[in-house]
Amino acid sequence: MTFSGLRVLKEGLTGNRGWAPHWRDPEPKAAYDAVIIGGGGHGLATAYYLAKNHGLTNIAVLEKGYIGGGNIGRNTTIVRANYFLPGNSEFYSHSLKLWEGLEEDLNYNVMHSQRGIINLFHSDGQRDAFVRRGNAMITQGDDAILLDREGVRQHLPYLDFENTRFPIYGGLYHPRGGTARHDAVAWGYARGADRRGVDLLQNCEVTGIDIENGAVCGVQTTRGAIRAKKVGIVVAGRSSQVAAMAGMRLPIESHVLQAFVTEGLKPCIDHVVTFGMGHFYISQSDKGGLVFGGDLDFYASYASRGNLPTAEHVMEAGMTLMPMIGQAKLLRSWGGIMDMTPDGSPIIDRTETDGLFIDCGWCYGGFKAVPASGYAFAHLMATGQHHETAAAFRFDRFRTGRGLLDEEGTGSQHNLH
Amino acid sequence: MVELIAKSPCAGLLPLAIGDVQVVEVDLGVLTSIAPYAGQGGATSDALRAAHGMRFPKLNRATGKDGARAIWFGRDMALLAGPPCDASMAEHAALTDQSDAWASVVVSGAAAEDVLARLVPIDLRQAHFATGHAARTLVKHMAASITRTGPESFLILVFRSMARTLAHDLKEAMEAVAARG
Amino acid sequence: MRLTCPICGARDRREFYYQGEALARPAPGAGAEAWDEYLHLRDNPAGVRRELWQHEAGCGAWLVVERNTSTHEVLGVSLVLDEAQA
Repeated sequence: MTFSGLRVLKEGLTGNRGWAPHWRDPEPKAAYDAVIIGGGGHGLATAYYLAKNHGLTNIAVLEKGYIGGGNIGRNTTIVRANYFLPGNSEFYSHSLKLWEGLEEDLNYNVMHSQRGIINLFHSDGQRDAFVRRGNAMITQGDDAILLDREGVRQHLPYLDFENTRFPIYGGLYHPRGGTARHDAVAWGYARGADRRGVDLLQNCEVTGIDIENGAVCGVQTTRGAIRAKKVGIVVAGRSSQVAAMAGMRLPIESHVLQAFVTEGLKPCIDHVVTFGMGHFYISQSDKGGLVFGGDLDFYASYASRGNLPTAEHVMEAGMTLMPMIGQAKLLRSWGGIMDMTPDGSPIIDRTETDGLFIDCGWCYGGFKAVPASGYAFAHLMATGQHHETAAAFRFDRFRTGRGLLDEEGTGSQHNLH
Repeated sequence: MVELIAKSPCAGLLPLAIGDVQVVEVDLGVLTSIAPYAGQGGATSDALRAAHGMRFPKLNRATGKDGARAIWFGRDMALLAGPPCDASMAEHAALTDQSDAWASVVVSGAAAEDVLARLVPIDLRQAHFATGHAARTLVKHMAASITRTGPESFLILVFRSMARTLAHDLKEAMEAVAARG
Repeated sequence: MRLTCPICGARDRREFYYQGEALARPAPGAGAEAWDEYLHLRDNPAGVRRELWQHEAGCGAWLVVERNTSTHEVLGVSLVLDEAQA
């Protein structure tokens, strides 16, 4: 089944009765060339690029729940390439380029909307830091425009520019940044992988990883044992638990990050706006809801919910920045489980077990990375070599201290990012 | 020689009177933190009584009265407010002059509890927090020391640099309580 | 979430600062591997674990908190000082 304007028109006129399921629901085979543990955005993208770029089609994605039911189904959908450090810059730059071609590539509407991101700054020092960041982005080949106060006012006239504590000095504008429809990304990659022969096995929880003589040989699942010489772990949120099945401890602590959605409103916020000093960011979904969030609750949690003090802090910051949102009614909130690494950057690497690979530690920035993460992890699993855009995401950087990617400059320690 | 004019932390900010609540700045005199050395708790308390006529306060309590008060101020620490701390205390405890480090205000009035309920995450009602009770807690986002000094009055200390924020937050809460009538 | 400080009593989460898992610090010369474990590697259980918190806005004491990371249930709070002396 292929999507086209003609098809949408025909189905619309005939009661939408011709749509078929977007992917199969196959029985697990006894063996695959490779299995991916985790049917989230990163896992599905990995399977898709393994099939598309490397011709590996005898593979399966093992998902404990249902496709798109994890963090890919609960996030604030921001897509950007505004990183500063070499190692991060080229990776997120690559990811944004993949995003820009994704709908055509997948023949799937992921509602990628390059509405622009504006990071606000509130002091001369912060302006200097953003000038530097903007130059790094331009050097990488991405776009960045420094807006002064009046420049910001033209885009975002509704902000409180005169706030006593955080007067707005300007903003770093990244026009190619924006948002995408999170579920559709999962569905698009799932359908693309399925169409290339990948088995998507839902309700299939991995309960053990089989290792013989230092090499992986398969996995135990709730739907039976599956043999495979290559296994990829892509389960951000539960990385420590799955890695423990292979006897590994990870440099990860799981934290809760809350996000909030208001009732649907008429279009009013047509950018992604970040207010770093208040730990607040916001955009408006295509359905009209204001989607916003703040910082971590800052304690380890798998509860998928946070506590009220953080919710209050986020609301206060939002009201500080744009008092107009005070009348909006909050519709829902949730807490996502974040794989927090000491330096705030991810891991895409081999493990000490032959054939076992891991992609984890996305902290609170995994969504925008979905295409490039899948691309690079597929490259690593297929060729055994790091992809050039993701060569910095090494497992051993914490132990050796070499190549730490501390984008925020707060130190490489747990609970600092 | 230039004469420096000392300004109190809340100069120009207080007093405030809104609805049934008043806030005034108070000059507590000399502030000295008293942190007994290990195993010297009893000796410190005896010395404090000998020198200043009050015991070292128990957890979450204050001793003494207006003009000379010892307020529990944290783990193994009290704040002596009023007289200069007697030098003999130094034998048993670490003494630190904190006189200029704190902004001190008294919130009083029939609705004082209601105002503080909007700002403080602990229960300050009479039944839970009686006269002579003291706590280290928050006022909005500020670390604070709160002591109930009477049926309708509370002594609040925050860092001196937070004086303006304290006055602002109290004013907002007082206006909100008053608006409910 | 509320924690019961052994000194101050039951208090709101806002008054506390979270440090991380309560771990035994290696000896200075323990070697890179031991320090890597201490600084970086975590069991990170979805369940009960021991953590260090500080009653930052209260009495200032450092606390060992036994807490369930899946439910936020607090099972016990004690002073680091007491544990060190035990």
